[in-house]
Amino acid sequence: MRTGLDEGVYEVFARKSRGEPLRHIGYIDAPGDELARVYAWKTYDEENWFEMCVVPRGAVIPVNRVEGPWAKNVPEETPGS
Amino acid sequence: MTPYTEDELKKKIRGGYILESPEEMTPGYRKALIVQLTVQADTELMSAPAYWFAARHAPSTNTQVSAHAIIQDELAHANIAYRLLEDLGVSKEHLVYGREPHEFKHPYGFDQPLDNWAELVVANGFFDRAGICLLGDVHRNTSYGPLKRALVKVDMEETFHLRHGEVWMRRLARAGGAATELLQRCVDWMFPMTIEWFGLPDDLKHHSGQLDYKLKGLTNDELRQVWMSSTVPLCEGLGLSVPAHYDEEADEYVLEYPFPCEYDPGAKRWLFEDGEITWGAVFERWKGRGPMNEIYVDSVRRSRASVASWLN
Repeated sequence: MRTGLDEGVYEVFARKSRGEPLRHIGYIDAPGDELARVYAWKTYDEENWFEMCVVPRGAVIPVNRVEGPWAKNVPEETPGS
Repeated sequence: MTPYTEDELKKKIRGGYILESPEEMTPGYRKALIVQLTVQADTELMSAPAYWFAARHAPSTNTQVSAHAIIQDELAHANIAYRLLEDLGVSKEHLVYGREPHEFKHPYGFDQPLDNWAELVVANGFFDRAGICLLGDVHRNTSYGPLKRALVKVDMEETFHLRHGEVWMRRLARAGGAATELLQRCVDWMFPMTIEWFGLPDDLKHHSGQLDYKLKGLTNDELRQVWMSSTVPLCEGLGLSVPAHYDEEADEYVLEYPFPCEYDPGAKRWLFEDGEITWGAVFERWKGRGPMNEIYVDSVRRSRASVASWLN
């Protein structure tokens, strides 16, 4: 049963300062993009991040790996392509 | 379907292999990891209400802020551990909202009331230190990549909790009089509580696979020694007495009381005078849960149903 508290998974990426790589630092469950931003910022507060962003898990498309959390996002091959 | 047999996976792990997804796990590995993560998540979650009730005794707005910052950290750590469990196919919804209070897997210490500011800071000094010993060991040794990465944040923050505990223990110890007496009373019940937290001694422990799968690196007795090696000198340095000392000949810390022994949660007192009990009796006490179990569990989930109904 779906409730108004249902949440989806977001991947959290951040970089500590200018010149640093953007790193995957964790995940957060949230009912939508706006709260995902808030929850990520409040949960991963161990650093004074220069930049943080969140990506819905379903939007990450793996290129070379066929297992792991994003495996189900591999696009189905179009017949004849 | 796992590509390895149990023995093949253990051998690969011994060679430094890091697992990144459930597909690579054998049933034995998955089961051992789920047990470990459930204990971790439940412990973080139940520390929050224990500290939250105690934070009401904070003596200033500054101390309120630090106490609540610690509670916020603990909830975030719980959230992260439950998220890792979801990726193993275990429902967070069920774990947090679907179980009976006595089914949570946190240690007995977090079923106890923390009744004043001294008890809160000693909990930071003792319980959070136990957390660092256990999770620091997991962080250094775990063969599960997502957990190793998640623990970077956890380790960093638990160190702050420990520092908070130590600084305040020092302040109370220096004050003398009633403050020091109260601090000593905290140590008297919370020291053996933390010692017991590390679980069965190695000579009685059934083989759990956690070491073979490198889900942790040190045994229960080794972790207990690590905890004592910093806690005993800290307390001695503050003029507090603890029922343990360093034995030079044995090159280890030894307890000065019957272990394990019975606990009277109402009086917050260990019954040293009644002598040693079996670990079977300890497990019975743990299973029966402590005085705050239902109250703490209810406090983290009481509004779930009403808010969900407003949103539908």
